[in-house]
Amino acid sequence: MTGFAARSKVAVVGCAQSPIVKHHDRPLGALAVDVAREAIADAGLTVADVDGFTTSALLPTAGDHPVVDGVSTVSANWLAANLGADPSYVTGFQGYGQLPGAVALAVNALMSGAADHVLVHRALHNPAGRYHGSAQQQARGAAQWTMPQGYFGPIAMIGLPTNEYFQRYGATREDLGAVVVEARKNGARLPWSHWHGSPLDLDEYLAAPLLADPICRFDCDRPVDGVAAFVLTTAERARDLPNRPVYVTAYAGAQPSRHRLPLHWPLDDIAEVGAATARQLWERSGLGADDVDLPQVYDGFSPFVWFWLEALGYCPVGEAHRFVSGGGIDSDVLGALPALSGGGALGSGRMHGVPQMLECYLQLAGRAGDRQREGARVGIACQASPHFGGAVMYSSEVM
Amino acid sequence: MSGPVPVPDEVSAPFWEAAADGRLVLARCSRCETFVHPPEPVCPHCHHTDPRFAFEPAPTTGVVRSWTVIRQSFLPGFNVPFTLLDVALDGLDDLRLIGRLAPEGREPPEHIGEPVHVVFEVPAGGGPAVPSFVLSEP
Repeated sequence: MTGFAARSKVAVVGCAQSPIVKHHDRPLGALAVDVAREAIADAGLTVADVDGFTTSALLPTAGDHPVVDGVSTVSANWLAANLGADPSYVTGFQGYGQLPGAVALAVNALMSGAADHVLVHRALHNPAGRYHGSAQQQARGAAQWTMPQGYFGPIAMIGLPTNEYFQRYGATREDLGAVVVEARKNGARLPWSHWHGSPLDLDEYLAAPLLADPICRFDCDRPVDGVAAFVLTTAERARDLPNRPVYVTAYAGAQPSRHRLPLHWPLDDIAEVGAATARQLWERSGLGADDVDLPQVYDGFSPFVWFWLEALGYCPVGEAHRFVSGGGIDSDVLGALPALSGGGALGSGRMHGVPQMLECYLQLAGRAGDRQREGARVGIACQASPHFGGAVMYSSEVM
Repeated sequence: MSGPVPVPDEVSAPFWEAAADGRLVLARCSRCETFVHPPEPVCPHCHHTDPRFAFEPAPTTGVVRSWTVIRQSFLPGFNVPFTLLDVALDGLDDLRLIGRLAPEGREPPEHIGEPVHVVFEVPAGGGPAVPSFVLSEP
Protein backbone atom coordinates (compact mmCIF):
# COMPACT_ATOMS: atom_id res chain seq x y z
CA MET A 1 0.00 0.00 0.00
CA THR A 2 1.27 3.46 -0.86
CA GLY A 3 0.84 6.44 1.45
CA PHE A 4 -2.51 7.98 2.33
CA ALA A 5 -2.84 10.81 -0.20
CA ALA A 6 -5.92 12.48 1.25
CA ARG A 7 -4.37 13.79 4.48
CA SER A 8 -5.60 17.37 5.06
CA LYS A 9 -6.78 17.62 1.45
CA VAL A 10 -10.50 17.66 2.29
CA ALA A 11 -12.34 19.82 4.80
CA VAL A 12 -15.71 20.03 6.52
CA VAL A 13 -17.07 23.50 5.76
CA GLY A 14 -20.56 23.55 7.23
CA CYS A 15 -23.21 21.59 9.06
CA ALA A 16 -26.75 21.53 10.37
CA GLN A 17 -28.70 19.26 12.67
CA SER A 18 -32.35 18.90 13.57
CA PRO A 19 -33.48 18.69 17.17
CA ILE A 20 -33.10 15.10 18.43
CA VAL A 21 -36.48 13.95 19.71
CA LYS A 22 -38.36 10.74 20.47
CA HIS A 23 -40.68 11.21 17.47
CA HIS A 24 -40.70 14.15 15.07
CA ASP A 25 -44.11 15.31 13.91
CA ARG A 26 -42.87 15.44 10.30
CA PRO A 27 -41.70 12.69 7.94
CA LEU A 28 -37.98 11.94 8.20
CA GLY A 29 -37.41 12.78 4.53
CA ALA A 30 -38.94 16.26 4.85
CA LEU A 31 -36.77 16.90 7.88
CA ALA A 32 -33.69 15.66 5.98
CA VAL A 33 -34.31 18.04 3.06
CA ASP A 34 -34.65 21.00 5.44
CA VAL A 35 -31.49 20.05 7.34
CA ALA A 36 -29.57 19.53 4.09
CA ARG A 37 -30.61 23.00 2.83
CA GLU A 38 -29.57 24.51 6.14
CA ALA A 39 -26.15 22.79 6.05
CA ILE A 40 -25.54 23.91 2.45
CA ALA A 41 -26.43 27.51 3.37
CA ASP A 42 -24.24 27.26 6.47
CA ALA A 43 -21.33 26.38 4.18
CA GLY A 44 -22.00 29.47 2.07
CA LEU A 45 -23.17 27.39 -0.89
CA THR A 46 -26.35 26.74 -2.85
CA VAL A 47 -27.94 23.41 -3.78
CA ALA A 48 -26.62 23.92 -7.32
CA ASP A 49 -23.05 23.85 -5.96
CA VAL A 50 -23.50 20.47 -4.27
CA ASP A 51 -22.76 17.68 -6.72
CA GLY A 52 -21.96 14.79 -4.36
CA PHE A 53 -24.15 12.96 -1.84
CA THR A 54 -23.09 10.17 0.49
CA THR A 55 -24.69 8.51 3.48
CA SER A 56 -25.42 5.20 5.08
CA ALA A 57 -29.16 4.60 5.20
CA LEU A 58 -29.20 1.77 7.74
CA LEU A 59 -32.18 1.62 10.10
CA PRO A 60 -30.36 0.18 13.10
CA THR A 61 -32.97 -2.08 14.62
CA ALA A 62 -33.42 -5.82 14.94
CA GLY A 63 -37.21 -5.35 15.01
CA ASP A 64 -39.68 -6.14 12.25
CA HIS A 65 -39.96 -2.56 10.95
CA PRO A 66 -40.39 -1.84 7.24
CA VAL A 67 -37.59 0.11 5.57
CA VAL A 68 -39.13 2.86 3.46
CA ASP A 69 -36.90 5.43 1.80
CA GLY A 70 -37.90 8.95 2.84
CA VAL A 71 -39.91 7.63 5.80
CA SER A 72 -37.84 5.28 7.97
CA THR A 73 -34.51 5.88 6.21
CA VAL A 74 -33.17 8.49 3.81
CA SER A 75 -30.77 7.32 1.12
CA ALA A 76 -28.34 9.67 -0.62
CA ASN A 77 -30.27 9.15 -3.83
CA TRP A 78 -33.60 10.06 -2.22
CA LEU A 79 -32.13 13.17 -0.65
CA ALA A 80 -30.43 14.38 -3.84
CA ALA A 81 -33.62 13.87 -5.85
CA ASN A 82 -35.85 15.60 -3.30
CA LEU A 83 -33.45 18.53 -2.88
CA GLY A 84 -33.67 19.11 -6.62
CA ALA A 85 -29.91 18.70 -6.98
CA ASP A 86 -28.11 17.79 -10.17
CA PRO A 87 -25.38 15.57 -8.75
CA SER A 88 -22.46 13.80 -10.40
CA TYR A 89 -21.77 11.37 -7.52
CA VAL A 90 -24.38 9.70 -5.30
CA THR A 91 -23.67 6.65 -3.19
CA GLY A 92 -24.23 4.89 0.11
CA PHE A 93 -21.90 3.13 2.52
CA GLN A 94 -22.98 -0.43 3.25
CA GLY A 95 -20.73 -1.43 6.13
CA TYR A 96 -20.74 -0.59 9.82
CA GLY A 97 -19.22 2.56 11.21
CA GLN A 98 -21.77 4.22 8.97
CA LEU A 99 -20.80 7.85 9.37
CA PRO A 100 -17.00 7.37 9.10
CA GLY A 101 -17.75 5.19 6.06
CA ALA A 102 -19.88 7.88 4.43
CA VAL A 103 -17.21 10.52 5.18
CA ALA A 104 -14.57 8.25 3.59
CA LEU A 105 -16.69 7.97 0.44
CA ALA A 106 -17.01 11.76 0.35
CA VAL A 107 -13.25 12.22 0.78
CA ASN A 108 -12.56 9.76 -2.02
CA ALA A 109 -15.04 11.48 -4.35
CA LEU A 110 -13.45 14.87 -3.70
CA MET A 111 -9.92 13.55 -4.10
CA SER A 112 -10.79 11.87 -7.40
CA GLY A 113 -12.60 14.92 -8.73
CA ALA A 114 -15.85 12.97 -9.02
CA ALA A 115 -17.48 15.80 -7.04
CA ASP A 116 -16.57 19.31 -5.88
CA HIS A 117 -18.88 19.68 -2.87
CA VAL A 118 -20.29 16.64 -1.07
CA LEU A 119 -23.17 16.55 1.37
CA VAL A 120 -22.81 13.77 3.97
CA HIS A 121 -25.98 13.17 5.92
CA ARG A 122 -27.37 10.73 8.44
CA ALA A 123 -31.08 10.39 9.13
CA LEU A 124 -32.18 8.23 12.07
CA HIS A 125 -35.71 7.11 12.74
CA ASN A 126 -37.48 5.71 15.76
CA PRO A 127 -40.35 3.60 14.43
CA ALA A 128 -43.58 3.28 16.40
CA GLY A 129 -43.82 0.13 18.57
CA ARG A 130 -41.09 -1.93 20.21
CA TYR A 131 -37.78 -0.96 18.63
CA HIS A 132 -36.08 -4.38 18.73
CA GLY A 133 -39.13 -6.61 19.24
CA SER A 134 -39.62 -9.34 16.66
CA ALA A 135 -42.41 -11.83 16.11
CA GLN A 136 -40.33 -14.09 13.86
CA GLN A 137 -41.41 -17.73 14.10
CA GLN A 138 -38.71 -19.22 11.91
CA ALA A 139 -34.97 -18.90 12.16
CA ARG A 140 -33.44 -19.26 8.72
CA GLY A 141 -29.92 -18.85 7.40
CA ALA A 142 -27.37 -17.60 9.92
CA ALA A 143 -30.12 -16.96 12.49
CA GLN A 144 -30.84 -20.72 12.80
CA TRP A 145 -27.69 -21.11 14.90
CA THR A 146 -28.54 -18.56 17.61
CA MET A 147 -32.14 -17.38 17.50
CA PRO A 148 -33.82 -20.63 18.65
CA GLN A 149 -31.70 -20.33 21.83
CA GLY A 150 -33.00 -16.78 22.39
CA TYR A 151 -29.74 -15.09 21.37
CA PHE A 152 -31.13 -12.19 19.41
CA GLY A 153 -30.63 -8.48 18.97
CA PRO A 154 -27.93 -6.03 19.97
CA ILE A 155 -28.58 -6.00 23.71
CA ALA A 156 -27.80 -9.71 24.11
CA MET A 157 -24.89 -9.14 21.72
CA ILE A 158 -23.29 -6.50 23.95
CA GLY A 159 -24.16 -8.36 27.16
CA LEU A 160 -21.69 -11.18 26.42
CA PRO A 161 -18.47 -9.18 25.86
CA THR A 162 -19.40 -6.76 28.63
CA ASN A 163 -19.73 -9.54 31.17
CA GLU A 164 -16.54 -11.08 29.80
CA TYR A 165 -14.84 -7.74 30.55
CA PHE A 166 -16.42 -7.61 34.04
CA GLN A 167 -15.27 -11.13 34.86
CA ARG A 168 -11.79 -10.79 33.47
CA TYR A 169 -10.87 -7.34 34.69
CA GLY A 170 -13.04 -6.87 37.77
CA ALA A 171 -15.23 -4.09 36.38
CA THR A 172 -18.54 -3.36 38.09
CA ARG A 173 -21.88 -1.73 37.32
CA GLU A 174 -20.59 1.35 39.15
CA ASP A 175 -17.79 1.55 36.56
CA LEU A 176 -20.22 1.24 33.67
CA GLY A 177 -22.45 3.81 35.34
CA ALA A 178 -19.54 6.27 35.41
CA VAL A 179 -19.51 6.19 31.59
CA VAL A 180 -23.22 6.89 31.37
CA VAL A 181 -23.16 9.66 33.99
CA GLU A 182 -20.39 11.44 32.08
CA ALA A 183 -22.24 11.17 28.75
CA ARG A 184 -25.52 12.39 30.24
CA LYS A 185 -23.78 15.27 32.04
CA ASN A 186 -22.42 16.52 28.72
CA GLY A 187 -25.59 15.76 26.77
CA ALA A 188 -27.71 17.65 29.28
CA ARG A 189 -25.87 20.83 28.26
CA LEU A 190 -26.73 20.51 24.56
CA PRO A 191 -29.88 22.36 23.48
CA TRP A 192 -30.46 19.93 20.57
CA SER A 193 -30.14 16.76 22.68
CA HIS A 194 -32.98 14.45 23.58
CA TRP A 195 -31.50 14.54 27.10
CA HIS A 196 -31.15 18.34 27.29
CA GLY A 197 -31.51 19.35 30.92
CA SER A 198 -31.63 15.68 32.02
CA PRO A 199 -28.40 14.53 33.60
CA LEU A 200 -28.37 11.11 35.28
CA ASP A 201 -26.80 10.32 38.63
CA LEU A 202 -25.19 7.05 39.62
CA ASP A 203 -28.00 6.08 42.01
CA GLU A 204 -30.59 6.39 39.22
CA TYR A 205 -28.33 4.32 36.99
CA LEU A 206 -27.87 1.57 39.58
CA ALA A 207 -31.61 1.44 40.30
CA ALA A 208 -32.46 0.57 36.67
CA PRO A 209 -33.41 -3.08 36.08
CA LEU A 210 -31.07 -5.15 33.93
CA LEU A 211 -32.03 -6.19 30.41
CA ALA A 212 -29.14 -8.57 29.61
CA ASP A 213 -26.63 -8.73 32.47
CA PRO A 214 -24.81 -6.43 33.09
CA ILE A 215 -26.55 -4.10 30.62
CA CYS A 216 -29.47 -1.89 31.70
CA ARG A 217 -31.46 0.52 29.59
CA PHE A 218 -29.22 3.48 30.47
CA ASP A 219 -26.29 1.65 28.87
CA CYS A 220 -28.15 1.79 25.54
CA ASP A 221 -28.60 4.97 23.53
CA ARG A 222 -32.20 5.96 23.10
CA PRO A 223 -33.81 5.52 19.66
CA VAL A 224 -34.77 8.92 18.24
CA ASP A 225 -35.75 10.83 15.15
CA GLY A 226 -33.01 13.16 14.00
CA VAL A 227 -31.03 14.29 10.97
CA ALA A 228 -27.59 15.82 10.61
CA ALA A 229 -25.79 16.97 7.49
CA PHE A 230 -22.22 18.08 6.85
CA VAL A 231 -20.73 19.69 3.74
CA LEU A 232 -17.25 18.64 2.63
CA THR A 233 -15.08 20.08 -0.10
CA THR A 234 -11.44 20.23 -1.07
CA ALA A 235 -9.09 22.16 1.22
CA GLU A 236 -8.42 24.48 -1.71
CA ARG A 237 -12.06 25.40 -2.23
CA ALA A 238 -12.60 25.61 1.53
CA ARG A 239 -10.37 28.69 1.68
CA ASP A 240 -13.00 30.77 -0.12
CA LEU A 241 -15.89 29.72 2.11
CA PRO A 242 -17.13 31.55 5.21
CA ASN A 243 -16.44 29.02 7.99
CA ARG A 244 -13.02 28.01 9.26
CA PRO A 245 -12.27 24.67 7.58
CA VAL A 246 -11.90 21.52 9.66
CA TYR A 247 -9.59 19.17 7.79
CA VAL A 248 -10.00 15.43 7.46
CA THR A 249 -6.60 14.18 8.55
CA ALA A 250 -7.29 10.47 8.03
CA TYR A 251 -9.97 7.84 8.18
CA ALA A 252 -9.87 4.20 9.23
CA GLY A 253 -12.26 1.28 9.02
CA ALA A 254 -12.22 -2.08 10.75
CA GLN A 255 -11.02 -5.02 8.69
CA PRO A 256 -12.76 -8.40 8.67
CA SER A 257 -12.78 -10.13 12.02
CA ARG A 258 -12.75 -13.83 12.88
CA HIS A 259 -15.54 -16.05 11.64
CA ARG A 260 -18.19 -16.10 14.35
CA LEU A 261 -21.83 -16.79 14.99
CA PRO A 262 -24.13 -13.89 14.10
CA LEU A 263 -23.76 -10.98 16.55
CA HIS A 264 -21.07 -12.79 18.51
CA TRP A 265 -18.30 -10.40 19.56
CA PRO A 266 -15.83 -12.10 21.91
CA LEU A 267 -13.77 -9.60 23.86
CA ASP A 268 -10.48 -10.72 22.29
CA ASP A 269 -11.83 -10.10 18.78
CA ILE A 270 -12.82 -6.57 19.78
CA ALA A 271 -9.39 -5.83 21.27
CA GLU A 272 -7.31 -7.44 18.54
CA VAL A 273 -9.11 -6.10 15.46
CA GLY A 274 -9.86 -2.81 17.23
CA ALA A 275 -6.16 -2.20 17.80
CA ALA A 276 -5.61 -2.71 14.06
CA THR A 277 -8.29 -0.09 13.29
CA ALA A 278 -6.44 2.38 15.50
CA ARG A 279 -3.08 1.51 13.91
CA GLN A 280 -4.54 2.31 10.51
CA LEU A 281 -5.64 5.72 11.78
CA TRP A 282 -2.19 6.51 13.23
CA GLU A 283 -0.41 5.31 10.08
CA ARG A 284 -2.58 7.34 7.72
CA SER A 285 -2.50 10.48 9.85
CA GLY A 286 1.12 10.35 10.92
CA LEU A 287 -0.09 11.26 14.41
CA GLY A 288 -0.45 9.33 17.65
CA ALA A 289 -2.83 9.16 20.59
CA ASP A 290 -0.98 11.92 22.45
CA ASP A 291 -1.55 14.37 19.59
CA VAL A 292 -5.33 14.13 19.93
CA ASP A 293 -7.16 16.67 22.08
CA LEU A 294 -10.69 15.38 21.51
CA PRO A 295 -10.95 11.62 20.99
CA GLN A 296 -14.74 11.36 20.72
CA VAL A 297 -15.24 7.67 21.39
CA TYR A 298 -18.41 5.87 20.39
CA ASP A 299 -20.95 5.03 23.04
CA GLY A 300 -24.06 3.55 21.44
CA PHE A 301 -23.61 1.03 24.24
CA SER A 302 -21.64 2.26 27.25
CA PRO A 303 -18.92 -0.47 27.18
CA PHE A 304 -17.86 0.71 23.72
CA VAL A 305 -16.25 3.65 25.53
CA TRP A 306 -13.88 1.26 27.33
CA PHE A 307 -13.21 -0.69 24.14
CA TRP A 308 -12.31 2.45 22.16
CA LEU A 309 -10.17 3.97 24.92
CA GLU A 310 -8.17 0.74 24.98
CA ALA A 311 -8.04 0.31 21.19
CA LEU A 312 -6.78 3.87 20.75
CA GLY A 313 -4.15 3.26 23.42
CA TYR A 314 -5.36 5.67 26.12
CA CYS A 315 -5.36 2.79 28.61
CA PRO A 316 -3.84 -0.67 28.69
CA VAL A 317 -6.34 -3.43 27.86
CA GLY A 318 -8.44 -4.13 30.94
CA GLU A 319 -7.82 -0.73 32.56
CA ALA A 320 -10.37 1.58 30.93
CA HIS A 321 -13.05 1.01 33.58
CA ARG A 322 -10.66 2.24 36.28
CA PHE A 323 -9.56 5.15 34.09
CA VAL A 324 -13.15 6.34 33.58
CA SER A 325 -14.22 5.79 37.19
CA GLY A 326 -11.16 7.73 38.31
CA GLY A 327 -12.29 10.80 36.38
CA GLY A 328 -10.06 10.14 33.37
CA ILE A 329 -12.63 11.36 30.81
CA ASP A 330 -14.27 14.09 32.93
CA SER A 331 -14.87 16.93 30.47
CA ASP A 332 -14.78 19.47 33.31
CA VAL A 333 -11.35 18.53 34.61
CA LEU A 334 -8.37 20.25 33.07
CA GLY A 335 -5.89 17.67 31.86
CA ALA A 336 -8.45 14.85 31.64
CA LEU A 337 -9.33 13.35 28.26
CA PRO A 338 -12.66 14.88 27.11
CA ALA A 339 -13.74 11.68 25.33
CA LEU A 340 -17.49 12.28 25.61
CA SER A 341 -17.51 16.10 25.63
CA GLY A 342 -20.03 16.09 22.76
CA GLY A 343 -22.50 14.07 24.82
CA GLY A 344 -22.08 11.01 22.64
CA ALA A 345 -25.03 8.84 21.75
CA LEU A 346 -25.88 8.11 25.39
CA GLY A 347 -26.17 11.83 26.08
CA SER A 348 -27.76 12.88 22.78
CA GLY A 349 -29.83 10.00 21.39
CA ARG A 350 -29.22 7.22 18.84
CA MET A 351 -27.61 9.42 16.16
CA HIS A 352 -25.04 6.79 15.14
CA GLY A 353 -21.77 8.69 15.19
CA VAL A 354 -23.21 12.16 14.60
CA PRO A 355 -22.53 13.51 18.12
CA GLN A 356 -18.88 12.47 17.80
CA MET A 357 -18.43 14.09 14.37
CA LEU A 358 -20.42 17.19 15.34
CA GLU A 359 -18.29 17.76 18.45
CA CYS A 360 -15.09 17.46 16.41
CA TYR A 361 -16.43 19.88 13.82
CA LEU A 362 -17.85 22.50 16.22
CA GLN A 363 -14.80 22.53 18.50
CA LEU A 364 -12.19 22.53 15.75
CA ALA A 365 -14.05 25.18 13.71
CA GLY A 366 -14.26 27.38 16.80
CA ARG A 367 -18.05 27.22 16.66
CA ALA A 368 -18.84 25.51 19.98
CA GLY A 369 -20.10 28.70 21.66
CA ASP A 370 -19.89 28.68 25.43
CA ARG A 371 -18.69 25.05 25.29
CA GLN A 372 -15.66 26.06 23.21
CA ARG A 373 -12.50 24.28 24.39
CA GLU A 374 -9.55 26.58 23.85
CA GLY A 375 -6.59 25.12 22.06
CA ALA A 376 -8.39 22.04 20.69
CA ARG A 377 -6.58 21.15 17.49
CA VAL A 378 -7.10 17.47 16.70
CA GLY A 379 -10.16 15.27 17.23
CA ILE A 380 -11.27 11.76 16.41
CA ALA A 381 -14.88 10.76 15.71
CA CYS A 382 -15.43 7.05 16.31
CA GLN A 383 -18.40 4.88 15.49
CA ALA A 384 -19.59 1.36 16.34
CA SER A 385 -17.25 -1.16 17.95
CA PRO A 386 -13.53 -0.66 17.25
CA HIS A 387 -13.42 -4.09 15.57
CA PHE A 388 -16.50 -3.49 13.49
CA GLY A 389 -16.76 0.23 12.76
CA GLY A 390 -14.51 3.11 11.94
CA ALA A 391 -13.09 6.47 12.90
CA VAL A 392 -12.18 9.76 11.26
CA MET A 393 -9.50 12.14 12.48
CA TYR A 394 -10.13 15.87 12.08
CA SER A 395 -7.84 18.84 12.60
CA SER A 396 -8.14 22.62 12.68
CA GLU A 397 -4.82 22.77 10.84
CA VAL A 398 -3.23 21.25 7.75
CA MET A 399 -1.15 18.43 9.24
CA MET B 1 -46.95 -17.33 20.63
CA SER B 2 -44.11 -19.82 20.32
CA GLY B 3 -40.48 -18.92 19.71
CA PRO B 4 -38.57 -19.12 16.46
CA VAL B 5 -37.74 -22.66 15.32
CA PRO B 6 -34.65 -23.45 13.26
CA VAL B 7 -35.32 -24.08 9.59
CA PRO B 8 -32.72 -26.55 8.31
CA ASP B 9 -31.32 -25.88 4.86
CA GLU B 10 -29.31 -27.90 2.36
CA VAL B 11 -26.09 -27.40 4.29
CA SER B 12 -27.34 -27.50 7.88
CA ALA B 13 -29.76 -30.45 7.66
CA PRO B 14 -27.26 -33.03 9.07
CA PHE B 15 -26.66 -30.81 12.12
CA TRP B 16 -30.37 -30.71 12.98
CA GLU B 17 -30.89 -34.41 12.24
CA ALA B 18 -28.10 -35.31 14.66
CA ALA B 19 -29.43 -32.80 17.22
CA ALA B 20 -32.79 -34.60 17.16
CA ASP B 21 -30.86 -37.75 18.22
CA GLY B 22 -29.00 -35.82 20.94
CA ARG B 23 -25.69 -35.83 19.08
CA LEU B 24 -23.48 -32.79 18.46
CA VAL B 25 -21.97 -32.75 15.00
CA LEU B 26 -20.22 -29.77 13.46
CA ALA B 27 -19.19 -28.86 9.94
CA ARG B 28 -15.63 -29.85 9.07
CA CYS B 29 -13.96 -28.58 5.92
CA SER B 30 -12.96 -31.58 3.80
CA ARG B 31 -10.00 -29.60 2.42
CA CYS B 32 -8.24 -28.32 5.57
CA GLU B 33 -10.10 -30.52 8.12
CA THR B 34 -10.89 -27.52 10.33
CA PHE B 35 -14.16 -27.46 12.25
CA VAL B 36 -16.14 -24.40 11.21
CA HIS B 37 -19.26 -23.01 12.84
CA PRO B 38 -21.43 -21.91 11.24
CA PRO B 39 -20.55 -23.34 7.81
CA GLU B 40 -20.21 -20.81 5.00
CA PRO B 41 -20.04 -21.04 1.18
CA VAL B 42 -16.25 -20.63 1.43
CA CYS B 43 -14.17 -22.21 4.19
CA PRO B 44 -13.27 -19.31 6.55
CA HIS B 45 -10.03 -21.11 7.48
CA CYS B 46 -8.45 -22.24 4.18
CA HIS B 47 -10.72 -20.16 1.91
CA HIS B 48 -11.44 -23.11 -0.37
CA THR B 49 -14.49 -22.33 -2.52
CA ASP B 50 -15.70 -25.93 -2.49
CA PRO B 51 -15.18 -26.92 1.16
CA ARG B 52 -17.56 -29.94 1.00
CA PHE B 53 -18.32 -29.69 4.69
CA ALA B 54 -18.91 -33.00 6.43
CA PHE B 55 -20.72 -32.99 9.76
CA GLU B 56 -18.63 -34.95 12.22
CA PRO B 57 -18.89 -35.63 15.95
CA ALA B 58 -17.55 -32.66 17.90
CA PRO B 59 -16.30 -32.41 21.49
CA THR B 60 -19.23 -32.18 23.89
CA THR B 61 -17.29 -30.56 26.71
CA GLY B 62 -15.98 -27.04 26.92
CA VAL B 63 -15.50 -24.00 29.11
CA VAL B 64 -17.55 -20.87 29.72
CA ARG B 65 -15.99 -17.81 28.10
CA SER B 66 -18.81 -15.48 29.05
CA TRP B 67 -22.51 -15.42 29.88
CA THR B 68 -25.42 -13.05 30.06
CA VAL B 69 -28.75 -13.37 31.82
CA ILE B 70 -31.55 -12.34 29.47
CA ARG B 71 -34.19 -10.57 31.55
CA GLN B 72 -36.21 -9.02 28.76
CA SER B 73 -36.71 -11.08 25.61
CA PHE B 74 -37.25 -9.32 22.31
CA LEU B 75 -38.60 -12.56 20.83
CA PRO B 76 -41.87 -14.32 21.67
CA GLY B 77 -41.93 -17.70 23.38
CA PHE B 78 -39.13 -17.27 25.91
CA ASN B 79 -39.61 -17.34 29.67
CA VAL B 80 -37.29 -14.84 31.33
CA PRO B 81 -34.86 -14.82 32.93
CA PHE B 82 -32.66 -17.33 31.17
CA THR B 83 -28.90 -17.53 30.86
CA LEU B 84 -26.96 -17.67 27.60
CA LEU B 85 -23.42 -19.03 27.60
CA ASP B 86 -20.54 -18.31 25.23
CA VAL B 87 -18.67 -21.62 25.19
CA ALA B 88 -15.31 -22.66 23.75
CA LEU B 89 -15.39 -26.41 23.04
CA ASP B 90 -12.42 -28.40 24.31
CA GLY B 91 -9.74 -28.74 21.66
CA LEU B 92 -11.44 -26.26 19.32
CA ASP B 93 -10.08 -23.02 20.73
CA ASP B 94 -11.22 -20.76 17.98
CA LEU B 95 -14.74 -22.13 17.70
CA ARG B 96 -17.53 -20.86 19.89
CA LEU B 97 -21.09 -21.96 20.51
CA ILE B 98 -23.80 -19.88 22.15
CA GLY B 99 -26.47 -21.80 24.01
CA ARG B 100 -28.81 -21.71 26.96
CA LEU B 101 -27.79 -22.83 30.41
CA ALA B 102 -29.82 -25.91 31.38
CA PRO B 103 -31.89 -26.73 33.26
CA GLU B 104 -34.12 -23.66 33.23
CA GLY B 105 -33.83 -21.72 36.46
CA ARG B 106 -30.24 -22.81 37.14
CA GLU B 107 -28.11 -20.00 38.65
CA PRO B 108 -25.57 -18.56 36.18
CA PRO B 109 -21.89 -19.57 36.48
CA GLU B 110 -19.74 -17.78 39.03
CA HIS B 111 -16.58 -17.53 36.95
CA ILE B 112 -15.42 -17.72 33.38
CA GLY B 113 -13.52 -20.92 32.72
CA GLU B 114 -16.11 -23.16 34.41
CA PRO B 115 -16.46 -26.52 32.61
CA VAL B 116 -19.70 -27.35 30.80
CA HIS B 117 -21.07 -30.15 28.67
CA VAL B 118 -23.58 -30.20 25.85
CA VAL B 119 -27.16 -31.40 26.26
CA PHE B 120 -30.04 -31.11 23.83
CA GLU B 121 -33.29 -29.39 24.74
CA VAL B 122 -36.51 -28.92 22.85
CA PRO B 123 -37.25 -25.18 23.16
CA ALA B 124 -40.37 -24.12 25.07
CA GLY B 125 -42.05 -23.25 21.78
CA GLY B 126 -41.40 -26.72 20.34
CA GLY B 127 -39.48 -27.54 17.19
CA PRO B 128 -36.16 -29.33 16.79
CA ALA B 129 -33.84 -29.89 19.75
CA VAL B 130 -31.08 -27.30 20.13
CA PRO B 131 -27.74 -27.63 21.93
CA SER B 132 -27.68 -26.21 25.46
CA PHE B 133 -25.12 -26.50 28.23
CA VAL B 134 -25.02 -27.91 31.73
CA LEU B 135 -22.39 -26.83 34.25
CA SER B 136 -20.20 -29.89 34.90
CA GLU B 137 -19.73 -31.02 38.49
CA PRO B 138 -16.12 -30.36 39.55
